[in-house]
Formats: sequence, C-alpha cells, structure tokens
Amino acid sequence: MVELRDVHMQFEEKKVLDGVSLKVEPQERLVIMGQSGSGKSTILRLILGTLRPDSGSIFFKRFEITRLRRRKLQQVRQHIGMVYQYSALLSSRNVRDNVALPLEELTDKSGSEIDRIVDEKLELVGMEDSKELLPEELSGGMRKRVALARALVLEPELILLDEPSAGLDPVIASVIDELIISLSEKSKVTSITATHEMDSAFRIATRMAMLYQGKIIEEAEPEEFKQSKNPVVAQFVSGSTEGPILEGSLDAITKK
Amino acid sequence: MANTEPPPVLIAEGIGHATRYFLREVGGVFWFIVNTFEETFERIQHGRVPFRAVSFFRHTERAGVDSVPLVGLVSFFLGLTMALLTGYQLQRFGTERLIPGLVAIAFTRELGPLLTGIMLAARIGAAFTAELGTMQVSEEVEAIEAMGIGPLRFLVAPRMLALFLLMPCLSTVSNMAAVLASSLVCKAYFSIAFPYFLDLVKDSLLIRDIITGILKSFLFGLLIAAIACYRGLTVKGGAAGVGTSTTSSVVTAITAVIGFDTLYNVVYTTFYPT
Repeated sequence: MVELRDVHMQFEEKKVLDGVSLKVEPQERLVIMGQSGSGKSTILRLILGTLRPDSGSIFFKRFEITRLRRRKLQQVRQHIGMVYQYSALLSSRNVRDNVALPLEELTDKSGSEIDRIVDEKLELVGMEDSKELLPEELSGGMRKRVALARALVLEPELILLDEPSAGLDPVIASVIDELIISLSEKSKVTSITATHEMDSAFRIATRMAMLYQGKIIEEAEPEEFKQSKNPVVAQFVSGSTEGPILEGSLDAITKK
Repeated sequence: MANTEPPPVLIAEGIGHATRYFLREVGGVFWFIVNTFEETFERIQHGRVPFRAVSFFRHTERAGVDSVPLVGLVSFFLGLTMALLTGYQLQRFGTERLIPGLVAIAFTRELGPLLTGIMLAARIGAAFTAELGTMQVSEEVEAIEAMGIGPLRFLVAPRMLALFLLMPCLSTVSNMAAVLASSLVCKAYFSIAFPYFLDLVKDSLLIRDIITGILKSFLFGLLIAAIACYRGLTVKGGAAGVGTSTTSSVVTAITAVIGFDTLYNVVYTTFYPT
C-alpha cells in the first residue's frame, strides 16, 4: 500500500530523515514511534506529498508520490485521509461544513446526499449533536473526532494520524483509539499513526516502527517491540531516564 | 578618528542581496498568479466551478460594498481640497471654469484608481494576508491541500477575482465623489452652476481618459490581491510571522501600485503622447 525507499530529508542544517525505508501492507495499522521532533510527522507529510524529500522515493499503491504532477497528486490525495495533531479544522466553518467540504469540492453528490454522508460520519465519531458548532466552541477531543470524520468522508483507503491522542484525557484517547481500530476492521482502512503515547500506540498497532536520529531502528509487532533488545527502544518503551536517548540529548546540550 | 564607513565591497554585497530578494519576490508573485490561473482553469476544463459563488460574493461584499464609504469619503475630501486650491490659483487668471475639467481628468485618469488602490491595499490587502496567514500557521491551508483541494483556486481565486472586478467600480465611486465635491466648491466659491459644471466636465473629459483609468484599476486589483494572498500563504513563524507579513503586504502592495502606476503612465504617454 505504502512504501518509502531510502528517503532523506533535511530542514536547513537539521537532518530529519536519513535513509528511511518502510513498507506498509493493506489493512495494517502501523504506528511510528519516536521522540518529539524526530521526524514522525514529516514521514506522514511526505506520504501525502505536501513535502518533497531531498532524495528517495515514496509510493502509494502504484503511484510514485515524489514524481506525480500537481493534478494527479490531488487525485491521489483523495484516497488518503489525514488527521492533524491540532486537527486543522477550518475555523470559519462549522462542524457540518468542515466535514462536508471534501464532498462539496471534489464530488458531484447532491446536497441531500452530502447531508446524509456527513450525518453518518459524525454519528460514527459521536459528534452528531454538534453540527452547528464552530471549531472554537469545541474541546480538543471533539476537534480530533471532527477531524477524523472529515478524513473519512471520502472513504479513503489510507488514513494518516498525527498524534491522535496527544493532549486528550485517557477516556477520550481510548475512544479515538477504538475508532481507529474499528475503522480498520470494519472498513478495511490502512492506517499509519505517528505518536509517542505508549498506551495508545500499543492499543492501535498491528506493527510498530521506531524512528531515531533519522533512521528506522526497529520494526516489529507490538509484543516483540515491547521485548526489544535495542537499548533505545527499550528505554523509550520503559520511559526510563537511564539510556542512550537522554545521553544523546545531554551530549547535544553540553556541546551547545 | 577611526573610519566608520562600510567598505565598498559590503555596500555592493548589500545591493546584490537586495536585488536578489526583489527579483525573487517579483518572480514569486508572478508565478503565484500563473499557478492560480492554471489551477482555476484546469478545474473549469473539467466542467466544474472553480469556487463557490457564496465565497466570491462574500469577498466582493467585504472588498467592494464595505469599502464604498471609505473610498467615497476620502475622495470627496480630496476633490474638495483640489477644487479649492486650484480654483484660487486659476481665478487669478480668470480661468476658474477649468476646475471641473481639471478635477475630472485628474481623478478619472490618475487619482481615482491610485487612491482607491492605496486604500484597498491597506484595508483589504491587510485583511487577506492576515486571514490566509492565520490559516497557514494553523495548518488549515495544508489540510485543504491534503484533502486534494487546490488551495490556490479555493482560497486565492475568489479573492483575486473579487478585487479584480471591484476595483474599477470603486475607482468610479472615487471619481464621482471627487467630481461631486468639486461641483459643490465650484457652486459655492466660483459661481459655476451645476448644469454648466456638467457641460464643462463633458467637454474636457475624453473616453480615452476613462478607459485608461478603468484599465489601470483592473490591474491594480489583480496586483493587490496577488501580493496580499502571496504574503498570506508564505507566512512563517506563527503569530509574529502573521503580523510581519501583514505589514509587509501593505507596504509592498502600496509601493507596487504606485510603481506600476508610474510604469503604466510612462508606457502610455510613449504610445499616446497627447
């Protein structure tokens, strides 16, 4: 479904991705783990084609995202849903209009059909009673759920989630996680989630990958990932202050 | 005493940097306009409307209808002042009947479009930049792009078209307000009755003056909208970045309008010297 081949990406002086290769099979729920600023969100943006890598190739199905022209890229994006970390709802539109936007702009569906689909998706995320509210009137969890409904409205084959449970209380975080799981099981949607929330990651994932210093250092199923012998992964999973992750950070701080 | 003047090589380097920045920005705005047209026409070619009529009319109302009081009032006062000041000078030579023509030609050909351009650059250009800039920093623009919707045709095209079409209308409002003001001055201070005033305006105003002003207005509208939207969509650095870009947008748009006006006049008088 998705493949990254030897992807390199640098922002000014900072090397974010240093030869990342990754393969995601259909209906898989891949969770990319890593520290804040490690490049997880960059991977999602590269798959979506809103960022271009310095080198390497990215494939979505048979399309090489990195080589697609604007028009074709826009068509391919209609098969991918994206949920941003801060939801990125259009602040001037209410919940209904936010969710309806892709349908209004990209399909020939009638108004009543759009209303039916919007109602269906909002019901799926439990937001059917908030249709008329503006994003500023919603809590963080409600925004995330609306963003999820918007991402699902075109029935995508792939859904990308950037920190879906960050900043949410444990109950709402679990609701979001359950939604992602049920989508994959019922609608056969493939998902790639970038997160550093351990509980959420282990709940969602069918496979996990650890991104560290621009490279994928571990790729495994959740149980195997938990038992990893890799000291970086082990430290990240345990949340310990002892280990190579903090040493690296301390080195960097000392160098400054 | 030590010499504090920078060495010539640093001055040359500074000029080089400024020139490179200027050319990059001009190129950026040019390709921004080209890409907006391309994205919009691509959509039309596929038999779909490029943007919703509601969105277009919202911008025309904001940029056009809501700007009428400001444009009308400023132009009225300027017309009044211009008629008064020129009137007293012309009266000394007994040629005060030239006032109506002078104000009408000056506004129709030059001041109407220029003043309207400056006012809209400040009023609407700033609003467009701040609005799109905020959308940019809150990832809304990227979300639109991620859905497969072209942000240029969805966000920029309705704004550009609204200003492009509304600028000539507002310039006309400006011209009419200035001429009305000068007619009041002519009546009150120089005993030129309104019917005679109108005859004098009609005698002195050429169709060419009107067309020149209208053509200029169309181009100013396109230029202001393009600069404002370009600055908005290239905002970097959060809330502070939005503020910086908004200031820069207004300054750039006003400078561009005045610069473009000069260029237009030079080209125009070269081909039509009288």
